[in-house]
Amino acid sequence: MRGFFAITRVTLRQLLGGKRLILFGLLALLPPVVMWFSSANLAESSVSDAFNEAPIAIVFLIVLPVVALVLGAGSLGDERRDATLSFLLLRPLPRSLVAGAKLWSAWLATTGIVGTSAGLAAAVVGVRAGDWAYLVPVLVGVAVAALAYCSVFMLLGYFSSRAVLIGLVYVFIWENGISAASAALANVSLWRIGVSAYVGLAPGPISGIDDVLGSVAPGAGGAIAKALVIAALVIAATGSLLRRRDLT
Amino acid sequence: MTAGPAFVAGATIEIEDVSKWFGQKVAVSDLSCSFGPGLTGLLGPNGAGKTTLLRMMCGLLRPSDGSLQVLGVDPRRDPNVYRRLALVPEEDAVYGILTAREYLEFAADLTGVPRERVDEAIAQVDLAAAADRPISGYSKGMRQRAKVAAALVTRPDVLILDEPLNGTDPIQRAHLIALFRRLASEGKTVIVSSHVLSEVERMADRVLAMVDGRLAAAGDVAAIRRAMADIPYLVRVEVAEPRRIASALLAEEVVGSVRLTGAQLHVETTDLAALGAILPRLAASAGARLSGFEPEDESLESVFRYLVRRR
Repeated sequence: MRGFFAITRVTLRQLLGGKRLILFGLLALLPPVVMWFSSANLAESSVSDAFNEAPIAIVFLIVLPVVALVLGAGSLGDERRDATLSFLLLRPLPRSLVAGAKLWSAWLATTGIVGTSAGLAAAVVGVRAGDWAYLVPVLVGVAVAALAYCSVFMLLGYFSSRAVLIGLVYVFIWENGISAASAALANVSLWRIGVSAYVGLAPGPISGIDDVLGSVAPGAGGAIAKALVIAALVIAATGSLLRRRDLT
Repeated sequence: MTAGPAFVAGATIEIEDVSKWFGQKVAVSDLSCSFGPGLTGLLGPNGAGKTTLLRMMCGLLRPSDGSLQVLGVDPRRDPNVYRRLALVPEEDAVYGILTAREYLEFAADLTGVPRERVDEAIAQVDLAAAADRPISGYSKGMRQRAKVAAALVTRPDVLILDEPLNGTDPIQRAHLIALFRRLASEGKTVIVSSHVLSEVERMADRVLAMVDGRLAAAGDVAAIRRAMADIPYLVRVEVAEPRRIASALLAEEVVGSVRLTGAQLHVETTDLAALGAILPRLAASAGARLSGFEPEDESLESVFRYLVRRR
């Protein structure tokens, strides 16, 4: 495990170094700021409804995909771009461990940034209405969705130097438009995994963000299982690719 | 393994009929050789296939054909070989955000060796004064030394260095060459690639020369020098009365052929010095003014191409 944690330490420094953290910090401020101002003049009973409209949509549909895309794709993509991948691969470590450590790092960073953002927005509900019941569900939803997103985007980052562009097209065109039109596609939609976990755990009926789910039944158990399966498949596939593919 | 100057007894790396192609481009063609303890220079012009061969030895590239073993195993099948094998790549494969000390600690953690070796490796490459500064601020030569140190921290039995002297100043170069020689004298297999003959000559007792993905020559440096001694040189001569001089030159034993283009002669000779002595005499006897005498192509690449053709 020494190698695993060494890769995690260095990858976190790579991913969160420089201007990236500042930009993500600004992006992460958006949900709590929107929540703060949108709930300023509301009655206490309406604050949680406001939370489930714009702030939660911004967390799950904008901040989370964008942060996970940049960090997930960068976890292996940065190594490939900087020609440091050989430094990691010429070690007596299973390649799946390298892939696992990279995914773990991207997930930690994404969950840390977006979880803080979502947690602060949920805290506004607690401060304004004394209702803290949304805090844990939103953190679980973020963690589950971050795992699914980072897995897919890590693999994408390994394959393509244009992973961020491709990922943006995927998130905003495929997820937003095409997968919404088909029940089968919606069931494997990354966008809906996190929302499904959140809606499944959040108290009472939720209006607003649940529209995103469409035909997908809300439930944390199913969402966690989907995310874990995606992560396991991606680690196995990436490990195999790192073993088999030429590193030119 | 096969006998011959390309092979050594007690080999740690054995390469048999290895080829590597990328699409239509053949990078290494049917190459067989072996490497053993001591310092071997892998010499060849840029694009000769040296880096491809070294990366195949390290398991980063899969041979398209043939087989390759390092310390008795295929490096693509057994990652444990990396406890005893290290590569210093040509490219700047360093983490700019880390200091040299952190970079070496990272290498130690990944390989599972004690971090106590880090200081020793830093001292070996004379980088102690800058060890706690981020690598992003290093010069090219300092980065090269950091990469070498990161390889040394694992104390490998086989050390493969791809153009390790690029970007180093003369003092750093001398220091690194002495280090490589010392490691070789300790029984390590040290392979150093370079496109500069004089560089390889200074450090390696044994040389393998590559061009166009093939082995051009192998053996000790003296043997390579001897092989290069009878290479025909092409010389451009500018002289008045070129036709008369061309006829006279063809009668000379050291002249292989003469081609006339405009007022210039292109003379092929195996003895540059002899031709230099003959030409003024011929020009004087013909009453023609000699205004130019210049070797046309004496690059390492042309020398190696000749050696490949001759094999």
